[in-house]
Amino acid sequence: MEIFFILGIPLLLAMVSALISRQKFLGLLNCFGYLVVLFLSAILLRQVVLSGSTISFLGFICLDTLSVFFIFVIAVVVFASALYSVGYIKKDIEKGVISEKKARIYYLLFNLFCCSMFFVPAVNNLGMLWVAIEMTTLISAFLVGFYNKKESVEAAWKYIIICSVGIIFALLGTILFSYAFSVTGLSKSLNWSDIIPVAHILDKNILKIAFIFILVGYGTKAGLAPMHTWLPDAHSQAVAPISALLSGVLLKTAIYAILRFGIIVIKGVGFAYFAHLMILLGVISLILSSGFILVQKDFKRLLAYSSIEHIGIIAIGFGLGTPLACAGALLHVFNHAVTKSFMFFGAGNIVSIYRKHNMHAIRGVIKVLPFTGIMMLVGIFALTGFPPFSVFISEMAIIIAAFAKGEYLIAAVLLVFLAVIFGAFIHHFAKMLFGNLPKGMTRLGEPLSGKLAFLFLGILFCLSGALFVLTKGNWIWVAQKLFLA
Amino acid sequence: MQFIILFTVLVSTYLMIIAKRTPALIRSFRYQSFCLFMATFIIALHEHGLVLYIIAALLFILKVVFIPHLLYRIIKKIKASEDLGLFINPQLSLLWALGFTYLSWVFSARLIGPDNEVKVIMLSVAFFMVLTGVFLMIFRMTAFAQIIGLLVMENGIFLLASMVSGGMPFFVEIAIFFDVFVSVLIMGSFVYKINKFFTHIDVNKLSRLRG
Repeated sequence: MEIFFILGIPLLLAMVSALISRQKFLGLLNCFGYLVVLFLSAILLRQVVLSGSTISFLGFICLDTLSVFFIFVIAVVVFASALYSVGYIKKDIEKGVISEKKARIYYLLFNLFCCSMFFVPAVNNLGMLWVAIEMTTLISAFLVGFYNKKESVEAAWKYIIICSVGIIFALLGTILFSYAFSVTGLSKSLNWSDIIPVAHILDKNILKIAFIFILVGYGTKAGLAPMHTWLPDAHSQAVAPISALLSGVLLKTAIYAILRFGIIVIKGVGFAYFAHLMILLGVISLILSSGFILVQKDFKRLLAYSSIEHIGIIAIGFGLGTPLACAGALLHVFNHAVTKSFMFFGAGNIVSIYRKHNMHAIRGVIKVLPFTGIMMLVGIFALTGFPPFSVFISEMAIIIAAFAKGEYLIAAVLLVFLAVIFGAFIHHFAKMLFGNLPKGMTRLGEPLSGKLAFLFLGILFCLSGALFVLTKGNWIWVAQKLFLA
Repeated sequence: MQFIILFTVLVSTYLMIIAKRTPALIRSFRYQSFCLFMATFIIALHEHGLVLYIIAALLFILKVVFIPHLLYRIIKKIKASEDLGLFINPQLSLLWALGFTYLSWVFSARLIGPDNEVKVIMLSVAFFMVLTGVFLMIFRMTAFAQIIGLLVMENGIFLLASMVSGGMPFFVEIAIFFDVFVSVLIMGSFVYKINKFFTHIDVNKLSRLRG
């Protein structure tokens, strides 16, 4: 039952934002709405994980552990983003960057975008899954091009075109899956829950080719290299709360879609095929992004390339496929969502004060914005996998799994490039955060809602790692049931 | 009858590859969509399925009437050059297209097996359309060519879905139509924006964001 509220509340909020013009009230209403969604998704997660069963409604919605986990991740980031939006949009209006009317459009699109993202893990039908993912692209294109500047229009165009082409390949793959299913003579359904029991009798060749199309298609949306080219443009030009949503959860919804098809392929073709493809793309993403991170000047693009890196790590984790690696990858999905949105909030605050993206031109952030500066410092260590934080735990789980499985080369690649990226991050951000107060700037205060968003995410990424270590038996059990049953 | 329709689809796709100007491209797209409509309509006549009639009608309204009309209107409004901006000239493009045709035929024969000839030909025409769509998007410079390339890919997939796997579930089909409709509207609005900010629609020159 909760799922209808989770899908309905964003839609309701979208309608409200189309009708009401007071943006301050809208912002607060949004926060309240998504707080409710967060609670409901936590209840749903608890219910499904504890009972171990699937909830389904009329064959249209089907919720198992994987889908409720992704719904929960989306709910967390969306709530934080709604909280952050209140202060951010208010500041933009005060500065005259956007008008009151535009703020309304922002809230309308924000809610529609969130609604379409919640649909992705909830639907059972693989065709509807495709439609939901394409909807996320179409709606968020406006949010990428929101500021109506040359750069943002260019980024939005590239985003919409590259992702649409990618997603068309995914549709091709989906149709091949349904073809493989229909030649068995059973029925014409595209429901995941109908396909999975007969996955082992499907034609292996067609499944293999179909999965390549799926991987290229949804991989484009997930930002796996070499199909990642839209990602740095879109992430760096979008409105800051939207950058957080794009990087934190939009990429994860595409990963979710890949996993859904991946589970069919694992059953039908065998694990090795899935594993090789995922590890290949994961390693390419990791290596390519580390190069771009080293030489980057624009710091929102730096964070975008870091997203490609983390998506690569997640792909490697699922590709390794031992229960520990899968559990680590699932945790990494959550950790990256939380930590990266945290970083994008910080980036949004810095850009709105300094009005530039170039890291060499930004100095003394801690002096100008003490709260954001300190939070960014914590965030960098959390993001690059420094020990007390949860990203460290999930990366460690994946690396341990690689060693335990005897994949020494993959473990070595992971360790080397994570070290390179760590070094690059410290190098870039140390100069930016420290340093003297720039001329003509004074110490500035920050809105409460922004601070709350930071604290909410910060507490999550500090604690979730410890939680994982304490309950790792359960995580591994869940991962085993999901992928290897 | 099916073979004649498939053949006209193939011809219209070749026409797109050698087109030099945007209106010609849109016109060929209209022919292609009309052929797909005919194909669906004939299947509907055979099977007497109400669902298929609805899909055929939607296809006609959306891809034969609405989308070409919208694109023509945008061209008139922004007064941009009608030149498509070819990276590869028509003769060479034709050679590419021949290569694509052969490739997709080999691919489909491998995928399905040579004994089912009708399906192999359908599949290869569909794959050929997808490849052509990609080709148009990469080797033509204007934003229009990218939109149409995308639509050609979509048409190819429609053909694949309706003929190879006997169509998708009804509501998925409707949702995909809706999706195409929305995406064309959104891309159209972005063409306006690009024209406003850059005073051209040459996407090859959109290179402010790098690295």
